[in-house]
Amino acid sequence: MSETKATIVYNDRIVRQFLYATLVWGIVGMLVGVLIASQLNFWRLNFDTPWLTFSRLRPLHTNAVIFAFVGNMMFAGIYYSTQRLVKARLASDFLSSLHFWGWQAIIVAAAITLPLGLTRSKEYAELIWPINIAVALIWVVFAVNFFWTLARRHEPALYVAIWFYIATIITVAMLYIVNHLSIPTSLLHSYPIFGGLQDGLVQWWYGHNAVAFFLTTPILGIMYYFMPKAAERPVYSYRLSVVHFWSLVFIYIWAGPHHLLNTALPDWLQYLGMTFSLMLWAPSWGGMLNGLLTLRGAWHKLRTDPVLKFFAAGVTFYGMATFEGPLLSIKSVNALGHYTDWIIGHVHAGALGWNGFMAAGMIYWLLPRLWNKPLYSVSLANLHFWTGLVGILLYVAAMWVSGITQGLMLSATTENGTVLAYPNFLDTLNAIRPLMLMRVIGGALYLAGFIICAYNFWKTVKGAQPVDGTIEVFVEQPAPAARMGFGGTWLNAPVLLSVFLVGFSCLWMLGTSYVSVAGLVGAIVTCVAGYALLYSRGKAWQDWYERLLLNALPFSVLTFVAVAAGGLIQIVPTVLIHKADNVEDRIQLPYTPLELAGRDIYVREGCYTCHSQMIRTLVPDVLRYGDYSRLGESIYDHPYQWGSKRTGPDLARVGGKYPDVWHLRHMEDPRSVSVGSNMPSYPWLLENNTDVAALPSKIRVQRMLGVPYGPMSAQQIFDEANGQAKAISLGLREAGAYVAPEKEIVALIAYLQKLGQSTPVAPKAAAK
Amino acid sequence: MTNAPKQPPAEDAIREHTFDGIQEYDKRLPNWWLFTLYAAIAFWVGYWFYYQNAKIGLSNTEVLQQELARIEAAKLADPANQLDDGTLWKMSRNAVFVDAGKATFTTTCVSCHKESLRGTDEGGIGPNLVDNVWIHGNKPTDLLKVVNEGVLAKGMPAWGPVIGAKKTSEVVAFVLSHHEVPAQ
Repeated sequence: MSETKATIVYNDRIVRQFLYATLVWGIVGMLVGVLIASQLNFWRLNFDTPWLTFSRLRPLHTNAVIFAFVGNMMFAGIYYSTQRLVKARLASDFLSSLHFWGWQAIIVAAAITLPLGLTRSKEYAELIWPINIAVALIWVVFAVNFFWTLARRHEPALYVAIWFYIATIITVAMLYIVNHLSIPTSLLHSYPIFGGLQDGLVQWWYGHNAVAFFLTTPILGIMYYFMPKAAERPVYSYRLSVVHFWSLVFIYIWAGPHHLLNTALPDWLQYLGMTFSLMLWAPSWGGMLNGLLTLRGAWHKLRTDPVLKFFAAGVTFYGMATFEGPLLSIKSVNALGHYTDWIIGHVHAGALGWNGFMAAGMIYWLLPRLWNKPLYSVSLANLHFWTGLVGILLYVAAMWVSGITQGLMLSATTENGTVLAYPNFLDTLNAIRPLMLMRVIGGALYLAGFIICAYNFWKTVKGAQPVDGTIEVFVEQPAPAARMGFGGTWLNAPVLLSVFLVGFSCLWMLGTSYVSVAGLVGAIVTCVAGYALLYSRGKAWQDWYERLLLNALPFSVLTFVAVAAGGLIQIVPTVLIHKADNVEDRIQLPYTPLELAGRDIYVREGCYTCHSQMIRTLVPDVLRYGDYSRLGESIYDHPYQWGSKRTGPDLARVGGKYPDVWHLRHMEDPRSVSVGSNMPSYPWLLENNTDVAALPSKIRVQRMLGVPYGPMSAQQIFDEANGQAKAISLGLREAGAYVAPEKEIVALIAYLQKLGQSTPVAPKAAAK
Repeated sequence: MTNAPKQPPAEDAIREHTFDGIQEYDKRLPNWWLFTLYAAIAFWVGYWFYYQNAKIGLSNTEVLQQELARIEAAKLADPANQLDDGTLWKMSRNAVFVDAGKATFTTTCVSCHKESLRGTDEGGIGPNLVDNVWIHGNKPTDLLKVVNEGVLAKGMPAWGPVIGAKKTSEVVAFVLSHHEVPAQ
């Protein structure tokens, strides 16, 4: 075996660039967060300006924090640690730079388009289709750069951090592409190919696992590199790494439906969402344990080292959030907490506590090493820690109290349980206003912490000489014996047993009578066999796994199979089933052209950020909003608008509830008809004209997606829209208010008055 | 050395291979952690059997229908649902009912019918309730029906299911208190 010595210079320039971007976008994202939190309490802060209005800025806040702040932080951490863990410089300087600048361009594009109301309205997937394509391409650039680097590695085995990075790259690509499948109607607008239930299911398969594979797995990888480095202690348990990695990536995917509990989602999917969320608790805590227990023997360092303070607190918040997640996935807990501020508190425990603190710890650890200069001020870093910690605690506590208070008020009944105790939604909103203010204070403190960090960062790197890490390696020829082909990857006990176990379990869960029983028996036999084999042949399994770690491609393939399984089982049956079999006893009336235009205005303004369109199968929901929502009632909704938060009331059956003139006054100034409302005013809807010209193209795409529009010429579409608009305008005039028929408010009123209208269909004979 | 710390065998062995200086122990999985994992799996199996395989547990809609039936029964048994014109007129002269009705009116009805009850005549959305024009019938029970069931075509919501029989009758009494009791 020939050995030559080579010196490798790491590409640390790209890490520094991503670090700058992390801080800049982090502060921008948090600043927008503080603004929109204030808008909830002080509606005047919407300034009656479209691009400063809450419902348009809220997606900007979430996207900025997730994709800009955590995204850039993740890329910095992955690029820094991967080069060192595989002893190779990043494969291509060009791809690295393309990745960096492409990602920043996407962020800028998002920051411009979202406030302009260019949106797909699917949460964390709002960006319009041309930007979606750019994101997918840049992600591929990242993937190629990463896997190419792995291919050129001088370290044969893959460390646990790399496993998590691989899972991240593969899974995010899969989720992102499927959830963004859409058909454009113009350069800036498209309709998703899924509608109603399917769209909701795909959205939360994506949304839930964006949290898993964008906010969790990469950060766990970063934890596995930076935490033992900073603590100078060995990682607690390799075995725990193996078990919690595979159980985490496999189980996470299945838990998506817990975002749709008690809705029209079919029961079996709700059962899956709830039970798999509970099974996810232990795998998540496996990561927390491996992090915290790595600090054993280094706890005293926490007193002096801000890096470890941030890491220890970050991992603790991770543990708290991943305990709260399964808790909120229990159907009865979810009935109380869903749509309330409790969820907002939960995600901020994750985003501020876990992501934000891990980012801060990583930044303070990297600064002296990337600029070869001690940190400007350790005291300021400590100040950042305590300010941030107090900020999070205020924030999360406020949201817990707020969510539970409002949830209890919304479901409280009187008179022997026959009527709501607080029929006026605004009573429940105004009860939590002090807590919403406390949230602003907590968020502002957290932001202040990051501004301190930026100052510390700036003072450290100013005038400093950036340094790139180097290492000397012995270039070895890879041993051919370690190569793993198809047989080595698949035909071995652990993989085969896992495949059988999942297959049998699915037969048991989803089959009927004999199939189900056979599945159960098969699953039990597989478990027993697996248990017996683990004891007799455990060593061989270990050796196989060690060999798998020498083979990046087979490892990645197995990871992909593990993450793809849950989605396949949940989504494919729902998509393949004939739509007519999945409507329950009602089917919605398709929107007229004017109503469709109104719906697009509803989507553009981001109404879904505060209003759901889903009356759950719960007594308080039915008492407050009317009969529970059926699957068929949103079957033509591309995109679906079930929503995830009720800052205002549900709108599924708002159609016909109020006269047109009520809606006109309400949109112009909500407080004129709803005293005490915190909803922004939308006066521009009374000034802008409806975009009727776009309707023929939109209706053509809707027809392609299966919405039953008859053949209509463009002229017929215009005539129908104008006719309906004139009738509404005339009605408004009779009620004492004049609005020209071509104004957007008329289209929006047409849409709102359509909500909840459906025709009954004969229930299908139980076809299952 | 007698005081040497006991070395748990294999437990604290550090794995041979290091990555960029990072070492790894290979410690046993904590028992309590394994217990939570197994308990959650057992719960999944039991839950699935109870609700999906054996269908012993009721589905969401079945639970809801049961609850709604109970609520309907309670409402049917409620005397506030069996009011006649005479009783409503009497209630409208009783300060207890009228004051309670006024409170409900202020929170629920004024946005359309206005504080003065003059509605459209004062820039509101709903009709005037103190003039002598009755659109949907002039008997107290007609009025009760409108409040309870709404006139959806004209934008009057059905308030019965929202505020309940007691409050609707009080609101009707409050509105009637602005009108003369007709001579028998």
